[in-house]
Amino acid sequence: MIHSNPFNYQLSEEETESASNSYLMSLIAIIAGLPLPILNLLATFIFYLGNRNSTYFVRWHCTQALLSQLSMLFINSFGFWWTISIIFTEENITNSYIAYMLTAILFNIVEFIATMYIAIQIRKGIHIELWFFGPLTNLICKSKS
Amino acid sequence: MKKSIIQGVISIGLFFGMWFSLKEIDWVGIFKVEQLTDKTEQKLGDLFWEGIKKTEQENKNTDVTHAIDSIVNHICLSNNIDIEKLNVHVIMKDEINAFALPNGHLVIYSGLILNADNQDELAGVICHEIAHIELNHVMKKLTKEIGLSVLISITTGNGGTEVIKQTLKTLSSSAFDRSLEKEADLKAVDYLVNANINPTNFANFLYKISETDSNIESYITWVSTHPESKERAKYIIEQSKGKLTHFKSILSNDTWNKLKEELNDFDYQE
Repeated sequence: MIHSNPFNYQLSEEETESASNSYLMSLIAIIAGLPLPILNLLATFIFYLGNRNSTYFVRWHCTQALLSQLSMLFINSFGFWWTISIIFTEENITNSYIAYMLTAILFNIVEFIATMYIAIQIRKGIHIELWFFGPLTNLICKSKS
Repeated sequence: MKKSIIQGVISIGLFFGMWFSLKEIDWVGIFKVEQLTDKTEQKLGDLFWEGIKKTEQENKNTDVTHAIDSIVNHICLSNNIDIEKLNVHVIMKDEINAFALPNGHLVIYSGLILNADNQDELAGVICHEIAHIELNHVMKKLTKEIGLSVLISITTGNGGTEVIKQTLKTLSSSAFDRSLEKEADLKAVDYLVNANINPTNFANFLYKISETDSNIESYITWVSTHPESKERAKYIIEQSKGKLTHFKSILSNDTWNKLKEELNDFDYQE
């Protein structure tokens, strides 16, 4: 699901570091705020705001990191509130709930591994476009030149 | 644009496809979710009842138990409730109180029976407590206020007597959530109507108790912990409107009077 595509200009050390950090940001926030699915999105969003005037490469990867976090926010929030309603209301643990949580955990693991892999590759200066988020980022993030 | 839409649809499809496929597996059975909660409830019920038995005196006089069992049996039979699930106990105590424990234990204080003007008032309170049991409110309340992990630790013997004591206090002297209380009240009205018992008497009991002298309020645990008695009486009347058919008493007057006499004459043992 990961597709790489070389950028058409020479990347500086600073650029690859900043772009790679945008993915690391979400990984650190996942570890720090696992029960609250909003934290990793917030961390990535703050990083995105800080780098929106940066070079095209950095902006592009900050946007891709943000979009991938946004999709996980929907999946995790739904799971989070479902769990809360089971604990505090009359809702019971059902096959549907367990199936949802397993699916959500699997998608989170895939996303976690992909994010980790992409952060390493970007640091090496290899541009990587994620499945679905890559083409979407291409639509949103345009080169200023 | 087209590429991202196709990939997006595939991703969403993959997510839901996986979720719906996994849903077909009986995870609840695999993880033994129900067995765990059933066993926990059974052990908790027995532990709490043992705790009460140690400190309070149970009335096992056949006149008393037969009379109470007749009321409970009649309610259960009229409402298709499994009577085997219920364990009814009469405790000799002046407080006007009745409460449900896990695993179908229903505890009624003698103070409540003696302060009921007629058997329908008592039947109303019994129906309310049976509704809590049938709607699984007891375990819901415990899980919410104490947490499932603590409950399981109590059943495995790691809870300590103080935790059991505190938990028992929560169950016997504090009300459920307002919404759960209302649900139990409305269910109780249905039970009463199905059992041909006039629900108005249950509402009257709430009115009567809410207007009792404040000096003895501390004895009226059942009502002082159940908020807004008047409001409850109102919606009970409202719920029973149109359902009023012909009503008949479960116990004969003689049996009812004998029950009260037995409770009044009870010989307390030190």
